[in-house]
Amino acid sequence: MALTKQNKKRVPLVGPALALVAVLAAPAMAAQPDGETIIRNNCLACHSETGDKAAPFSRISEQRKTPEGWRMTINRMQALRGAKISPEDKRALIQYLADNQGLAPTEAEPYRYLLEQDTNRVEEGIDEGLGQMCARCHSGARFSLQRRSEDEWKRLVDFHMGQFPTIEFHSLARDRAWYDIAKNETAVELGKNFPLITPQWNSWKTAPKADLTGRWRVLGFVPGKGQFDAWMNAAKSESGYQLQLEGQYADGSKLSGSGNARVYTGYEWRAALTIDGVKMRQVMAADAKGGEMAGRMFPAAERAIGGELRAVRDQGEAEVIAVMPSLLRQGESAELTILGQHLEGDVSLGEGIEIEKVLERDDDSIRVLARATGSEGARSPSVGSASLEGGLSVYQTLARVEVVPANALTRIGGNGGEMEKVRAVYRAVGYSAGADGKAGTEDDLRLGYMPATWSIKPADEVAAHDKDEDFAGSIDAHGIFTPGDAGPNPARKMSANNVGRLTVIASVNDGDAQVRGEGSMLVSVPDFVRRVLD
Amino acid sequence: MKHLKSLNKKAHLINQAVSPEDVEDVVAMQTVVGCTATTDPGWELDPFGGLGSLCQPMESDLYGCADACWWPAQVPDTMNSYPDWGEGVAKADKDWRKLDGIFEDGE
Ligand code: HEC
Ligand code: HEC
Repeated sequence: MALTKQNKKRVPLVGPALALVAVLAAPAMAAQPDGETIIRNNCLACHSETGDKAAPFSRISEQRKTPEGWRMTINRMQALRGAKISPEDKRALIQYLADNQGLAPTEAEPYRYLLEQDTNRVEEGIDEGLGQMCARCHSGARFSLQRRSEDEWKRLVDFHMGQFPTIEFHSLARDRAWYDIAKNETAVELGKNFPLITPQWNSWKTAPKADLTGRWRVLGFVPGKGQFDAWMNAAKSESGYQLQLEGQYADGSKLSGSGNARVYTGYEWRAALTIDGVKMRQVMAADAKGGEMAGRMFPAAERAIGGELRAVRDQGEAEVIAVMPSLLRQGESAELTILGQHLEGDVSLGEGIEIEKVLERDDDSIRVLARATGSEGARSPSVGSASLEGGLSVYQTLARVEVVPANALTRIGGNGGEMEKVRAVYRAVGYSAGADGKAGTEDDLRLGYMPATWSIKPADEVAAHDKDEDFAGSIDAHGIFTPGDAGPNPARKMSANNVGRLTVIASVNDGDAQVRGEGSMLVSVPDFVRRVLD
Repeated sequence: MKHLKSLNKKAHLINQAVSPEDVEDVVAMQTVVGCTATTDPGWELDPFGGLGSLCQPMESDLYGCADACWWPAQVPDTMNSYPDWGEGVAKADKDWRKLDGIFEDGE
């Protein structure tokens, strides 16, 4: 059925004779079939074996992508093409494909936000032509996280044309020969920018991969709860690692959880943990030595509400990983916590900072009362021989506040409907002016996250006239914005939805003064198609 | 027409377009990841970076748009991919609560 729906312009997928041979040649199902066997057992009804060792399976062998990218394609095979595959085989196949046809760390690096589901941002660095041709329906990262032969980019264009025939009639398409340009120019450009064979992949593929077993010192942020530090134990399991996590939030309350992780392509860490009853996901990238990982953690049920996550492996060495908060106002006393591992020896917060009192001391955390007397600037706190460059900033005046995300999108929902609201979480980052004394210039000193009070206002006169601030949602003390209810609203003009354009304001105290920062919020209609990678 | 400046670096260019037809000659909208503003109207944003030219409420002409797969990355296209989407929800402006999304298993 599915095949007949394809665009007639598409190259036939498979010669029937070849496919038959392939099916017959498939070995009997083993208890744990390898990747190629899974493909033979599940995919060859439509795909074919090419006989070419370098690219053995039609369509499947000439692309590389992330585990999420592979999952998305196989999901489409199931949902639209009618492919059948068991959950176990699917998991094993995604592992196999991501390991053997994945992206090198440097290839995925610029687009990690999409893997981390950190999508409240305006994409930068997407070529303008590609933006118009491709990134006007979905993210540019969706295709920038793939590598294909030129032919495979062309077939992707054909898939779009066949699946979404009106693609030619949209604005930014009907003004041009969309299909011709897409196939003969865009696909060629993609083949050059994102080719199947790259030196990065060639060297990563053969590089030894780190074992991530061990004890990890973890720092993260959970919206509504705040910053936390924890230990996460990773023990080898059949398909990856078994995880145990214990820690505390900045306010002293505990967190604890357990779960599993899989590592794809030798560095893509994907974990599912239940932390205090909530199912959470971790998406991180490990460095080449397997000593550090960085990424994001978010609830499995609400990927928009997440926070940064960092993990440093215990390798028996002393390490200072962070100071929290990471800023100290000149002349003021404040409590600071130094987080790390194997913290032994003398504690110093840097030049001109007096430690008035050590309040609590462990080998992974030291809480002190400190006072800054010295000049404005970055300091490198140390414990014994371990230090953290630029880990603490001393400032005189808070020059500006940045609201992150600067651009966010939330979606109405709830109100008895099937679609949940999509919320957003905000944080405030403080800066001092730096040596030139001017805020907003390159030498501004990033101080770190600061507590803020949050409010909203209409984005402009149109939004004010439509009373967007009354209808579109509200923000709480934790910086979590909850959009309005779904459905037509008779109280609005033309029964409009509770959509709106708002400015989100963070007010941060600086001595007796207040410094404000603003972010832009679009409260939008539901997204009825939520892909693994939007 | 007012603009969401920070959401759209190109807003001033679009601002200069005298009518929606002219928008096509202007550069693509930059929107938050995973949104579309360039079908006319867009789903989350209109081509001016605002909400003024969107179908509002979105329920009023939902099928007219979904049938023509107008925003296939945001609304299930009933033309090819999800012919049954919206089944049993004859009038979206009355029965919108029953509209469900296509949620991929992202495990
Ligand atoms: C029932 C037929 C059918 C089966 C079974 C099937 N596919 Fe496909 N496959 C297609 C069709 C049709 C296309 C081209 C249209 C498309 O991309 O959706 C395709 C395209 C693809 C592509 C290229 C997609 C792209 O983005 O360019 C990949 C990769 C792929 N299939 C992988 C698989 C894998 C892996 C399996 C086995 C788990 C599988 N397919 C099973 C029909 C099938
Ligand atoms: C009309 C809107 C639209 C345009 C324009 C568009 N896409 Fe897509 N694209 C989609 C939708 C919808 C899907 C999801 C298909 C699915 O999996 O069901 C998709 C899926 C994809 C995928 C994932 C396919 C896979 O299985 O790996 C890639 C990659 C992609 N598009 C790249 C591109 C490129 C490159 C262009 C420009 C030539 C482009 N898109 C233009 C709507 C669009």
